[in-house]
Amino acid sequence: MTPDLMLRLRVESFLYDYAAMLDDERFGDWPNLFTPHECRYEVLSRENVDLGLPVPIMSCYSHGMVRDRVAMLVQGTLTYRKMKLLRQVSNVRAGAEPDGTIVVHAGLTVYQSDEEGVSSLYIVARYQARLVPLEDSFQISVMKVVVDSFGIDTMLAVPL
Amino acid sequence: MPLSTTPDSNWSTRDFSRVPFEVFTSSDHYAREQSRIFRGPAWNYLCMEIEIPNSGDFIRTWVGDLSVVVSRAEDGSIHAFENSCAHRGAQLTSKLRGNTRRHTCAYHLWTYSLKGELVGVPLEKGVNGKGGMPPHFDKRNHSLNTLRVTTFGGLVFGTLSDDTPDIETYLGPHAVSQIQRLLVQRKPKVLGYLRQRIPGNWKLYNENVRDPYHGSLLHLFQVSFRLQQPTMRGGIKMDADLKNTWNHSILTEEESGNRQTLSDAYAGTGKFAPEMRMADPALTQVPLDLGDGYKTTILSIFPSLIVAQVDNTYAIRHLRPKGPDLVELHITYLGFESDTPEMTHDKLLTSNFIGPAGYISLEDGEALRLVQEGIRTRRPDQHEMLEMGGVGDIRDTDYLSQEISIRGFWSFYHRIMGDAA
Repeated sequence: MTPDLMLRLRVESFLYDYAAMLDDERFGDWPNLFTPHECRYEVLSRENVDLGLPVPIMSCYSHGMVRDRVAMLVQGTLTYRKMKLLRQVSNVRAGAEPDGTIVVHAGLTVYQSDEEGVSSLYIVARYQARLVPLEDSFQISVMKVVVDSFGIDTMLAVPL
Repeated sequence: MPLSTTPDSNWSTRDFSRVPFEVFTSSDHYAREQSRIFRGPAWNYLCMEIEIPNSGDFIRTWVGDLSVVVSRAEDGSIHAFENSCAHRGAQLTSKLRGNTRRHTCAYHLWTYSLKGELVGVPLEKGVNGKGGMPPHFDKRNHSLNTLRVTTFGGLVFGTLSDDTPDIETYLGPHAVSQIQRLLVQRKPKVLGYLRQRIPGNWKLYNENVRDPYHGSLLHLFQVSFRLQQPTMRGGIKMDADLKNTWNHSILTEEESGNRQTLSDAYAGTGKFAPEMRMADPALTQVPLDLGDGYKTTILSIFPSLIVAQVDNTYAIRHLRPKGPDLVELHITYLGFESDTPEMTHDKLLTSNFIGPAGYISLEDGEALRLVQEGIRTRRPDQHEMLEMGGVGDIRDTDYLSQEISIRGFWSFYHRIMGDAA
């Protein structure tokens, strides 16, 4: 197996774990996937990205902000539509920079299912991430989620 | 202000403290609203002037469920027309925004000026004397359906009725001064757009922004971090028609210390978390740009515009109804030309307060969904009730626990809908 393919498999494995953690609503663990000092998480609208406009749908510019984003979810004080979500990660591409940072591009589709078993497509988006190798896995230094379906259905309460 | 209308039996009370649920659910009612309100004597927000600064710039928007193109002509004037060719009705443009010399229909290449006048019909005279348009055909009779356009404080409005009063009268004095405060004293710039499709009737959102009662009860984030509280000072002011509301709140040091009143207000809900601390409080520490002490000011203009300052965020919210049970909330998020890079960064930080993922706003989407879902099967003769803050006369208040301005909205709604209410 080539090193490129090995890297892609390791990155896929990391993204699958990331998606499963959020699907399982283990929101309190999510910040642990980020580099503990400087890190960045942004959900951006395709419309704004294409227009060169900076406003995010959701943004965390520090590890503290990443923790704050899920604090009310963990505590159960946020009022939002609780849907069972399935995040499907696809078309994963990964490459290593000279400094060891891994640059990742992937597709994301999220399905939502209600309590009576009715499902619909919730989000169509693309991951653009920078990962830092850590032991046999990675930590997220930058995670941008560029959302094609930026007419958000009802709300976006949970991270993507 | 005394009440000027006498509701029919469906509305049941003269003070609009009862609203029949069917106005939120009926397709017939929705269709009548399109003609009586959005195509009637109302000024509909279209866009901001700064979004079409140059000749040939255009932007696509909505008036109710009517697709409208707003265009800047060579002489700098602004025009708005239905996005539908005068020939066979095809959509003229599916682009959201752009710049063009002419608007050309893709189907038969009929071409319109930047003012919406028909200027080109291919093969108008036929080929070799055969075919072509009949002799009486005159391009001047086939312009696009245009709206009457006006601007105020950089906002562009359009109407399809000749009866709509002048814009300052329509807005009323509180709106005029608030637009001056938020959009004129500093030159705004667009920092981005946010869109949220809320599965609820467009009027539920109009109720929501005229309802300071819910603010500190539904949105626990702002209570936990002392941005907004039930004990806060504030009030509402309406225009003479009662259709437009300005509500505002002021947080004082004295009241932010009043935690006992707070825990009483939330007793038994399990929601109030006074022990909560932010890991990174940066976004709650952004100073207010304006030194006038207002924490939140929400200016709601009938039927579809909200100019909102929530903490240090400044945004235009535009309601785009998509049927009786769906509305797109389209947000134009603003900074200002005079902002330093630090102030722009702060506005990206505080954008976390608003929009579909906003700490202070995402719950509104859920609240409206719950109402729409809850009333779907209520009987037509059943009503919502609006008595918080007092019943009877609809008047300005200097307190926030009230639903009086919602009754103001309904009194004007009832008037403009006439026998279709």
